[in-house]
Amino acid sequence: MQSMTDNSSHDGESSPAGNVVEFRRVSYRAPNGQKVLQDMDLAIQGGETLVLLGRSGSGKTTSLKLINRLLQQDAGEVLVEGKPTTQWDLIQLRRRVGYVIQEAGLFPHHTISKNVGVVLRLEKRSRSEIRERTDEMLRLVDLDPAQFGKRYPYQLSGGQRQRVGVARALASDPPILLMDEPFGALDPLSRNELQQQFLRLRDRLQKTIVLVTHDIREALLLGSRIGLMESGTLIGSYTPEQFKVSDDPAVRAYIEAFGGC
Amino acid sequence: MIFKKLAAPIVCALIVCSSCMPQHHDRIVVASKNFTEQAILGEILAQYIEYRTKVPVERRFYLAGTYVCHQALLAGRADVYPEYTGTALTAILEEKPSGNEANVFQRVKSEYAQRFKLDVMPSLGFNNTFAVIIRGEDARRLHIHTLSEAGKYSPQWRAAFGYEFMERPDGYAGLARVYNLHFAQPPKAMDLGLLYRAIKDHQVDLIVGNSTDGLIQALNLVVLQDDRHYFPPYDAVPIVRQDTIRRFPLLKTALDDLAGKISEDEMRKMNYAVDGERRDTPVVAREFLKSKGLLQ
Amino acid sequence: MLHYILFHQREIGEATLEHIWLVGISILIAVAVGIPLGILMTRKPRLRTAILGSANIIQTIPSLALFGFLLPAPWLGARAERIAIVTLALYSLLPIVRNTYTGIMGVDPAVREAAEGMGLTNGQLLFQVELPLAASFIMAGVRTATVISIGVATIAAAIGAGGLGEFIFRGLAMVNNQLILAGALPAALLALGSDLSLGWVEAGLTPPHV
Repeated sequence: MQSMTDNSSHDGESSPAGNVVEFRRVSYRAPNGQKVLQDMDLAIQGGETLVLLGRSGSGKTTSLKLINRLLQQDAGEVLVEGKPTTQWDLIQLRRRVGYVIQEAGLFPHHTISKNVGVVLRLEKRSRSEIRERTDEMLRLVDLDPAQFGKRYPYQLSGGQRQRVGVARALASDPPILLMDEPFGALDPLSRNELQQQFLRLRDRLQKTIVLVTHDIREALLLGSRIGLMESGTLIGSYTPEQFKVSDDPAVRAYIEAFGGC
Repeated sequence: MIFKKLAAPIVCALIVCSSCMPQHHDRIVVASKNFTEQAILGEILAQYIEYRTKVPVERRFYLAGTYVCHQALLAGRADVYPEYTGTALTAILEEKPSGNEANVFQRVKSEYAQRFKLDVMPSLGFNNTFAVIIRGEDARRLHIHTLSEAGKYSPQWRAAFGYEFMERPDGYAGLARVYNLHFAQPPKAMDLGLLYRAIKDHQVDLIVGNSTDGLIQALNLVVLQDDRHYFPPYDAVPIVRQDTIRRFPLLKTALDDLAGKISEDEMRKMNYAVDGERRDTPVVAREFLKSKGLLQ
Repeated sequence: MLHYILFHQREIGEATLEHIWLVGISILIAVAVGIPLGILMTRKPRLRTAILGSANIIQTIPSLALFGFLLPAPWLGARAERIAIVTLALYSLLPIVRNTYTGIMGVDPAVREAAEGMGLTNGQLLFQVELPLAASFIMAGVRTATVISIGVATIAAAIGAGGLGEFIFRGLAMVNNQLILAGALPAALLALGSDLSLGWVEAGLTPPHV
């Protein structure tokens, strides 16, 4: 179903240089003192799409936010491209890591074109380059720049807004893409459409992608690897095929609780 | 982005506006309290000072009472204002309301020079004492002329005073004690100008105004005699900052010229011209100065 | 009445200008102080109660008392306008601070998270996202403050700061309604006019949404 070489990444520490993102015994406590992550290890290799799957409160979104340092761990290390996030220049780090969230988070006071070009403008690219790149990104997500470029976010449907969110995250061509329940708020039809589009983009762009979802079907469809999370740690990582037939009790329990396949 | 664009104009506007704030040291500021007589006296002082010294005069009239005027002089917001010796003695120096005219003037003059570096100039010529006032019809009906006679009727009356009179040591508390006044309700405090309206409209029956108020005659009111001499003398005197006199020596000459020029009757007429005949304060002041040959 | 206003046209015009000047400067100061304070509150939540509390307390002090407190203050006391401007600015602080704070806090958390995730610096987040989205709120605060100040500024005449209040106090002293109206009427028109025009600016600053 997908092109990446299958791998067993449980022994991640043996080749840290190959890992684009790596968690080493990471713990995180919420500001209210509650433990969210506990001694979590994780290794993500270049070009793979890792889906973090788990019920709400299992720590998937927190893990995602540790990668672009929207949150910072209390213990352990998170490495991006081999360098601890704490040693990255924060802005540099975030420019290397595209970020797509559930409600897209488009700037309501900017047009669609302006929204897609935000990072390009911050990087002081030339006007013509920004326009070119913005149009290219919109076409990439199947939105006609001439038709949508001048509109405001409120004039778009939820699915269209989410596509703009993806276009915006990809505009500065980051090698890593983080997606937090990107299709969670959409109706089934748009979700399906965007999932298909995601697969096309994934194969074309060869990014390293970390995607968070609680939807098993989405995980099986989109992931090259599925990381199952429970109570603040990663309890296993599987290819979709392995996941379906696994007799690991945690996997069975999740499949039973959240709709079989 | 809007705010980046706004920031510069705001800062510029602040700088421009603060620099166009008029500078004080090239002019003389005349202040007055917030009743008609004070505005007329302020206008007389202002016009004559301007004429005599050729220094531009700024007017700051209708300040909210003695304290505000006194503070204005101390802080240098104003240079001159008309005051009354008895008021200076009791409200500012907080001394007992006693003594004759010359005695009170001397005490106030030396204390002001010592404590505040303010000069008390010679009296303008009249004594504006507090006037306890009732309606003429009541006075005739009850046959009363003095405060002593009023005591026994006071329980049927409602009274109103200005804010200052309620508080000052030569004010209501002492007056009530000396003349044994007890009113139907606790006296109301209100703006000086509203007192006359209140007694005219029968909202109250007794007010305390000033003996020179023009409206006393105009509204057919009667002043009760202070037969036990409760009130000290209140000679009208200009008070001036000593350092302003040093800067503009002619200011002292100008104020000396005005000494003794205004009689109690003249003051009352001017007050009436403004309050009763609705004439403009500056016009009334100018006519008076001309009639005395002080202005051309 | 009309006759009276026409007759004193020049005097009333000057007082009106003085009034606008007092209110204008104090609002500029309140904006220059209040917006940063409002922003500070969104960044340091601990200061929130302290800042809002003080602004609230100031608002509850009667204006004449506030004028009175400042009379003996050094430097400020040297000119009545300074006292008036500081008092008016203090009064204007609360609506501006409060609206800046609620305006910024009202920005959709998803928008803020997306902006941070894209690597906007704190300053870029503030100037490119939060303030533009909060602008109409802030303007509404400025509008409230202006209307309040135009009213309070009439009382500034009691300490000799000039403005339209002088007619009101003069009218009170002379028991003359025409004089009172000569001050009150332009003040009311001024308040109405600034309310309308600032409301128009506010509408222009409202970002497009549903």
